[in-house]
Amino acid sequence: MKSEELSQIKKMLQEQGYIDDGAIAMSIFLAMKLEKPLLVEGPAGVGKTEIAKVVAKALKTELIRLQCYEGLDSTHALYEWNYQHQLLYLKMQEGKGEAIKDLEETIFSDKFLLKRPVLNAITHADKTVLLIDEIDRADEEFESFLLEVLSDWQVTIPEIGTIKATNKPQIILTGNRTRELSEALRRRCLYLWIDYPTFEKELAIVKSKVPEIDQKLGVQICSFMKELRELKLEKTPGISETIDWARALASMHLEHLEEQIVEETLGVVLKDWQDMRHTQDSLSELLERTRVTSRIS
Amino acid sequence: MPSTIAHQTELSANVVLLCRFLRKKGYKLSTLEESDALRAISFLPIHSEEYFKEALRSVLTKSQFQRTKFDEYYQEFKDQLKKASDSKVKELPEEKKQPEKKTKAAQFDALKDWLNLTPSDEQKEVAAFSDLEVLTKKNFLDLSEDEMRLMMRVLRKLARKMAHQKSRLRKKSKRYQHLDLKQTMRTNMRKGGEIQQLQFSERKDRKLKLVLLCDVSRSMELYSRFFIHLIYAFQNAYDNIETLVFSTALHRVSEILDTNEVEKAFKTISERVPHWSGGTTIGSCLQDFTHNYGHSMLDKKTIVLMLSDGWDTGEPEVMRTAMKTIYKKSKKVIWLNPLAGSPDFAPEALGMKTALPYIDVLASAHNLESLKQALQQLRGKRKLPNTWSR
Repeated sequence: MKSEELSQIKKMLQEQGYIDDGAIAMSIFLAMKLEKPLLVEGPAGVGKTEIAKVVAKALKTELIRLQCYEGLDSTHALYEWNYQHQLLYLKMQEGKGEAIKDLEETIFSDKFLLKRPVLNAITHADKTVLLIDEIDRADEEFESFLLEVLSDWQVTIPEIGTIKATNKPQIILTGNRTRELSEALRRRCLYLWIDYPTFEKELAIVKSKVPEIDQKLGVQICSFMKELRELKLEKTPGISETIDWARALASMHLEHLEEQIVEETLGVVLKDWQDMRHTQDSLSELLERTRVTSRIS
Repeated sequence: MPSTIAHQTELSANVVLLCRFLRKKGYKLSTLEESDALRAISFLPIHSEEYFKEALRSVLTKSQFQRTKFDEYYQEFKDQLKKASDSKVKELPEEKKQPEKKTKAAQFDALKDWLNLTPSDEQKEVAAFSDLEVLTKKNFLDLSEDEMRLMMRVLRKLARKMAHQKSRLRKKSKRYQHLDLKQTMRTNMRKGGEIQQLQFSERKDRKLKLVLLCDVSRSMELYSRFFIHLIYAFQNAYDNIETLVFSTALHRVSEILDTNEVEKAFKTISERVPHWSGGTTIGSCLQDFTHNYGHSMLDKKTIVLMLSDGWDTGEPEVMRTAMKTIYKKSKKVIWLNPLAGSPDFAPEALGMKTALPYIDVLASAHNLESLKQALQQLRGKRKLPNTWSR
């Protein structure tokens, strides 16, 4: 019965077009079972954010997204008092002679509280998926704000008290390793590292995302990408680039890779001029190797 | 948590053993992870080892490095466990490991114990501090593996300290820390003087930009291991830093240092940079730098830090023009030359001689003390004429 749930998750992922290699399904399964946040790290464009979207879709719940950036603070992530409304309210009550204590209670109530994504997620009527995207872009102090939510599912607001989660959301954090995350954050999460996919996995992804693609072309694209990643480029292309490229080539109704077409469409895959130059130099060799490997498979 | 550990079976005992084993390998695992692991396996079908391992990996690893190492350790643990149960010795497996685990550190400690007639832990702490004293004067070449690690910690601290410089200027802030009365009054004037909105300010970051150019040729080989550590420490402390390494060709490595563990970064860089062949051509590498990166990386807020011994096999003229451009376009040029530490050093290598007029500070950086002094030069403006310090 227990393994059923796991295979159910695998099935869910598959239905949403997300190809998994065992580790991903296991991590999602355990994150849900243990009720812990899931920290996903990996190079750019391997489908980290996609996990959250897929999980939300699979659970048929809302996805609340918090995009992190430098300078993000608690007023934008957790909550904020609606200062202007509070002032206006006080002005309106001025002549009425209400007791100060009552006034205070009113202005520091739910009515004047602006809920930001995190507070929104934990007070939501249903179980939600909270995606905290690119957490490493936020400042270190912001990580500390999150700790309370991540381990105890609550937010403490000094004026009101502690707000406990009505429904524990499934939290998914993603990171690009632009900065090392703190030990405290790591130990509150389950960890998942997604690397560049294997040839088989990538082919499966391409086939599911671009179903109209020619079988032979798909194989060639994937083995070309595999060779390309071996080149040690400045910005190694991820899966999303592969998919874009596959879409582009499929829309041209090609059946196999030609040097000229590759050269013309290289901009879809590579986003750095040095990489471009480097790849163009060794393009014919790359294609030769691609031809050999794709013949084998 | 207590309910899960209430009935200890052989399986759960082994999981706990595994946790202890991993802890010895440097994994930071608390009881929380242990109990999570036990809970996790209770959700799994018993018969599948693959699931079992996958689940444990999911729960017990907290970084990419740990994740990649996990398989190996898991296997090692299993082997040891098997050995232990085969020989019918119900010992803990890690106790068998003890004799061969006596690394250099342990030997060093043992020696010290003997010398100092077994000091208490407290004394050891003090000893560690005085180790640091010795370290500051010790040449980087003579460092042992342990001292290296200690050194790295110092360096990281140093780099971080240098990185976080605040300007005296203030700017508008979203953080509710320092109330800016002047701005508060001003914004609220247009609302009829009623204070509706508070304005806050914080100190502006001094935007120090740093470009590191590191020589990794054969002649620098002895030092380059250390320098890679140094630039790694810097790369992770500064936001605005670009690192390039060169021997016969120039390579930008900022990305690699940013996204990898230090060991892996070191490996990737040495793979990417072709090995020394015939000599360093500092001149042409610097020329390459000014042509391809100069326009984007250099400006009057940028400090250029060069790590090289100045042995150049190229044309001095090429080097001169390149150095001149760098000097003119940057805030400051600091050249760290490890050879400069020896007392009879004079900037005599041809490359060094050519570059000298375009260097603000030439420092030795062969030990921690001199490095610290050199890094002090990161602050402050360019002094004319250029100074050269030991």
